[in-house]
Amino acid sequence: MADSKYITLVSGEGFEFVVLREAALVSPTIKGMLRSQFIEARTGRCTFPEISAHVLEKVVDYFHYWYRTREQEDVPDMEIPPEMCLELLMAAEYFNLDSKNPLRERE
Amino acid sequence: MAPVLYEVSRQTRQRRISHNISAHQIRLDADARRRAAQNEQGDQVDENNQSNDQTSVTTPATTPAVSASPAPVPATRGRRAAAAANTQDEEAREKEQKAIEKIKASKKFQKRKRYLDSDGEDDLARALLQSSAPLPGQQENCENCGTRFTVTAYSRNGPNGGLLCSPCSKEASKDDAAKSKKPKRATGGAVGKRRQVQSNILDGTYSLGAKSLMTLCIETLAKNIDLAEDLGDLPSPIIDKIARKLSKHRLLDSRTLSLFLQPTAEEVHVYDGAKLSSDDFIRIFQTVPGLKKLKIRNGIHFKDQVMDYLMSRHIELEDLYLHGANLISEAKWKEYLQKKGHSLRSLRVYFTDKHFTDGVLELLSTTCPSLTRLKVSHNQAVTGAGVAAIAQIPTLRHLTLDLRNEPHSDIYVDLLSHIGAHLKTLSLTRVRDADNTVLDAIHTHCRALAKLRITESEEMTDAGFVRLFKDWANPGLEFVDLQKCRQLDSAHPRENPDGLGLCSNGFRALMAHSGKKLRELNVHGCRHIGADAFEDVFSPAAATGRVYEAMAKLEISFCEEVTDFVVGCVFRTCPRLRELNVFGCMKVRDVRVPRGKILVGVPNARGMVIEGDDDEEEEDEEMDTSA
Repeated sequence: MADSKYITLVSGEGFEFVVLREAALVSPTIKGMLRSQFIEARTGRCTFPEISAHVLEKVVDYFHYWYRTREQEDVPDMEIPPEMCLELLMAAEYFNLDSKNPLRERE
Repeated sequence: MAPVLYEVSRQTRQRRISHNISAHQIRLDADARRRAAQNEQGDQVDENNQSNDQTSVTTPATTPAVSASPAPVPATRGRRAAAAANTQDEEAREKEQKAIEKIKASKKFQKRKRYLDSDGEDDLARALLQSSAPLPGQQENCENCGTRFTVTAYSRNGPNGGLLCSPCSKEASKDDAAKSKKPKRATGGAVGKRRQVQSNILDGTYSLGAKSLMTLCIETLAKNIDLAEDLGDLPSPIIDKIARKLSKHRLLDSRTLSLFLQPTAEEVHVYDGAKLSSDDFIRIFQTVPGLKKLKIRNGIHFKDQVMDYLMSRHIELEDLYLHGANLISEAKWKEYLQKKGHSLRSLRVYFTDKHFTDGVLELLSTTCPSLTRLKVSHNQAVTGAGVAAIAQIPTLRHLTLDLRNEPHSDIYVDLLSHIGAHLKTLSLTRVRDADNTVLDAIHTHCRALAKLRITESEEMTDAGFVRLFKDWANPGLEFVDLQKCRQLDSAHPRENPDGLGLCSNGFRALMAHSGKKLRELNVHGCRHIGADAFEDVFSPAAATGRVYEAMAKLEISFCEEVTDFVVGCVFRTCPRLRELNVFGCMKVRDVRVPRGKILVGVPNARGMVIEGDDDEEEEDEEMDTSA
């Protein structure tokens, strides 16, 4: 099956987020899940039982924000509400969205 | 004016219901306009909409349209209410008339009247009536919640012109504050943006695209750190990042320190302890009993009493990094090493004025049997005797010295002959008097070096460097910093007959020996490296088959011979290169930088130009700067 342009991310509560595949690939975690023989790769559907919907929503926000601004210099920062900062930090760690991530470096 | 507005709005409402405009509609509109004009002429005091409606119904002479309107039901209903409204209306009018009289008599009115003719008098009086609110000290009903309150000079006006009681005005000002806060702009226009980009390049934080989510979170957290009670069970690398970010803004104080002290931790890094007191440092040892690695920068109040406490506990530090703790006395250093030195593997001491002395270094060989890393930086007390004592520490693998006193080269030679064979790091900063004998000693003794730094030597010569790197049994170095090893003669700056400093041949020998493995090279200010040497070393891979795979950072600032061609060659032969510094290379004029690489210090106003498909954009920017 040819890879679809979109993939579905599912939160702990079962909320589904349909995300542009290329945008979601910024996360090495998701990239790993979508590789080769895993079931996620076949269905294009990744479930994250330990991540709640409002955090996943913000992460998805970030994916698209990253995708939109990936060619720009001096990008304005994305707003992050202080109250969900810690949760989001955990999620960022989980999704491996670190600046030292080699995938983020340009080929 | 009010009646006209009212009529129009009613018309539009009707129109919205019928969804189209009929001839009847148009006639109604015209009637409404005519009536409005009449109302104005009649000089009636029709202040509010309701009274106007009633008046127009009760005086048939002025309201032909309404009586002829196709909706008689509202009209009759209006007539029924008319009687009551009429009396109400009259009362209101009387009241107003009285108020106007009063205003006309007032001083304020007399003053203003001077500029008006008699026609404007009534209007002015009415305007003043509207604006005149109860004076401070009087009672008034709040416009918003209706409660009765005492008017003060600070009472606010509500949205409809009335006054607000104090709880309501607080609410109102809160709303105002939220509204007036404008969204912050990321940068200020084209020039501001360009400036920001250049600033990022210099900071080394330049990258295309957005910041990582983690960075964004950490920045937000640092901004709101006063809200945080506890960082929860975040992984320690993240906590470390938060700590770094906080220190950047000098936000680490007694309160925020607690966030980073986890009882189970083995490491505590305080990147900026300038606001911490001695008690805070003691608290670190109280909260984290299993501490193994301690790093404190700007720990001014890390003094004798803290050392005393540390010695009284069962904490066996393996790694101690102290920066700026110059209140610890020499006696206390010695005491500490004698009591706790046996567990120390790494000791790094920066900026400790006069108290970290030769005597302390002499103790190390006996008290610290497992010391592998020693760094003494910005030290004014240590002399040759102390350096000679370091030679007695056979376990040492990493040695960094940045001393203000300058020991003789013989001392270094002796040091290297003792411990050189196993050294992985040798860093000698600001060694003006060190000469070729040191280089020869490195050549003879060192077999495991990966990092070498010798800076600001005025004695070493090109031939010395050639001897060092030629047929050296040491494997290729990964990090080389030979900055400012050059001839310094202000009378004859161009001539260098003795070949002082790192020159062409030394550079060729260095790259021949270590080029393949070098990750970072710094030859800042080695002015006598010639263009031919650069071209030989970095000439395109096709010709010589040379590629410097590992090279990530290259600093060739103030090497006069670097040209556009050399820079282009560097980009071609160093595929992994991230950053190239060319400050003061005045022959670099117009290089296109490949995507993903950074060229810092280009001597023109435009800065770095990225090679690639967005040339048009770059040209736009150029125009912006010239404008």
